[in-house]
Amino acid sequence: MTKKYAEPEEFTTLELMAVCGSRQIKNGEVVFIGTGLPLIAAMLAKKTHAPRAKIVYEAGFIDSNAKDIALSIADSRLGYRASAAIGLIETLGLMLQGGHVDVGFVGAAQIDEYGNINTTYIGSFENPTVRLPGSGGGNDIVSSAKRFVVIMMHEKRKMVKKLDYLTSPGFLDGPGAREKAGLMGDGPSLVVTNLCQMDFDPDTKRIRLATAHPGVSVQQVLENSGFDLIVPKNVQTTELPTPEELTLLRAIDPSGIYIPRAK
Amino acid sequence: MVEAPVEDKRITLKEAVKLVPDGSHLFWGGFGFQRPPMAFAHELVRQNKRNLTIYTCGSEMDIDILSGAKVVSRFELAFYAIEGIGLVPNIQRRIREGVIEIEDYSNLAMALRFLGGALGVPFMPLKSMLGTDLLAKKRFRSKKAEVIECPFTGEKVVLVPSVRPDFSIVHAPRVDREGNVQIDGIKGEDVEGARAGKKVIVLAEEIVDSEFIRSQPDQTVIPNIYVTHVVECPWGSYPMMVYNYYDYDMEHVRMYYDQCKTEEGWQKYCEEYITGVNDCVEFLQKIGIDRLMKLRAKKPFPY
Repeated sequence: MTKKYAEPEEFTTLELMAVCGSRQIKNGEVVFIGTGLPLIAAMLAKKTHAPRAKIVYEAGFIDSNAKDIALSIADSRLGYRASAAIGLIETLGLMLQGGHVDVGFVGAAQIDEYGNINTTYIGSFENPTVRLPGSGGGNDIVSSAKRFVVIMMHEKRKMVKKLDYLTSPGFLDGPGAREKAGLMGDGPSLVVTNLCQMDFDPDTKRIRLATAHPGVSVQQVLENSGFDLIVPKNVQTTELPTPEELTLLRAIDPSGIYIPRAK
Repeated sequence: MVEAPVEDKRITLKEAVKLVPDGSHLFWGGFGFQRPPMAFAHELVRQNKRNLTIYTCGSEMDIDILSGAKVVSRFELAFYAIEGIGLVPNIQRRIREGVIEIEDYSNLAMALRFLGGALGVPFMPLKSMLGTDLLAKKRFRSKKAEVIECPFTGEKVVLVPSVRPDFSIVHAPRVDREGNVQIDGIKGEDVEGARAGKKVIVLAEEIVDSEFIRSQPDQTVIPNIYVTHVVECPWGSYPMMVYNYYDYDMEHVRMYYDQCKTEEGWQKYCEEYITGVNDCVEFLQKIGIDRLMKLRAKKPFPY
């Protein structure tokens, strides 16, 4: 049976990004996420291919089955039909650092070609132009989750050669660097943006174009990247959402808090 | 048989804040939108406190108010924003003006620093921060964190200094007058943070009878042994949330955020809602009972 996909004009880029994120979650996995698109992606995964995935939020909500969309990772909405409500030592310490988390989702203000992430300062450390939120649990998640996925917007100023501040470790400066630094997790597996999906070359640990979203050219991805991107000979188009995924997605976020409806 | 007298640790919010001298170091409880000690923040502003150092994992509008009013000069924390809205405006201005400095850690690092303080050990080991600027760059601490090789296995670990602040400030749903604290929903880092403080001030939505606490002792997360003072403070986290008690008021939070984009806007907010009212009760009267009642948690939902 061939899978039936929606037509490109039937979904928005944010919807596609949420579906891409959702497909990174395998059934039965322990998933560590924040709010925003990752929250929607994880909720979708549980309603489709990964009903046994367990979603953990660092504030302390465990195996959450929220009915309404949360604005904060400490939002009481995440407590509805959760299996436990504990705290940070439990989630980030015992569960994550203890080695029980399969995949973490994070965002980034800047990312470099080794998947290192900045969420702390724009500008110099001495005289920053913008103070970003900081690590939160981001550094902990990407340090110790078995693998992690980044979801972010694709802009030249965000995909950079050199980060203004390295908050959270990707592959640091290349092969073997995570191991040498003493980090436990295996590092980034995928970066999902509004233009494409990128993975990492297994030998050099450098970022590589994996799939381009429908209607996006390789040239467009390169023009919007400040770092050098490995481009394979044949770049596939990103697997499109199914009509079923889109219906569920719209039911998860009916008022468009994280995914505004197409006009 | 002698009946033990029930110790009474109750004081008012004004009295509690008076106990905090300028220059004090505070553990700041609550996490994200959940249970921030907002009423305590307002009263710190009203009493014109200065030069505080705050330790917390992730806090939001509450510590932005403290930044706007220049109550705090230093933070050691992991996260500072208003989730779902954006970067907090007052902190950007105060950093540019050079009146606030932040020492950055990760959330686990901060939570462990509180646990270390509570355990009475000088540092805690962890496996985060390795290889990053969280480790390489420091703002004001002479020593922020250190990588060592484990003396037993040779494995690399990061050591972070424990924290023993002068005061721990926690907002809880329920406490009795002896100071036994019950927290519904997530605890964030409050369980460890409360135990780290030299003095502990607990604000609560309700002060309940000790017999109620003792009818469900498994719900007590901070026993009275740790607690110095208790303050009754209903709606004390408004416009943020308290699990099982009330939801956040995003309309108010958005209004705060929009208004604070300019210094004048912040001053106006501060005057209207904080310094222009006598106390937390007058603040709530200003918000209005209709608005508050709409936010009450609707069972079986905790919001």
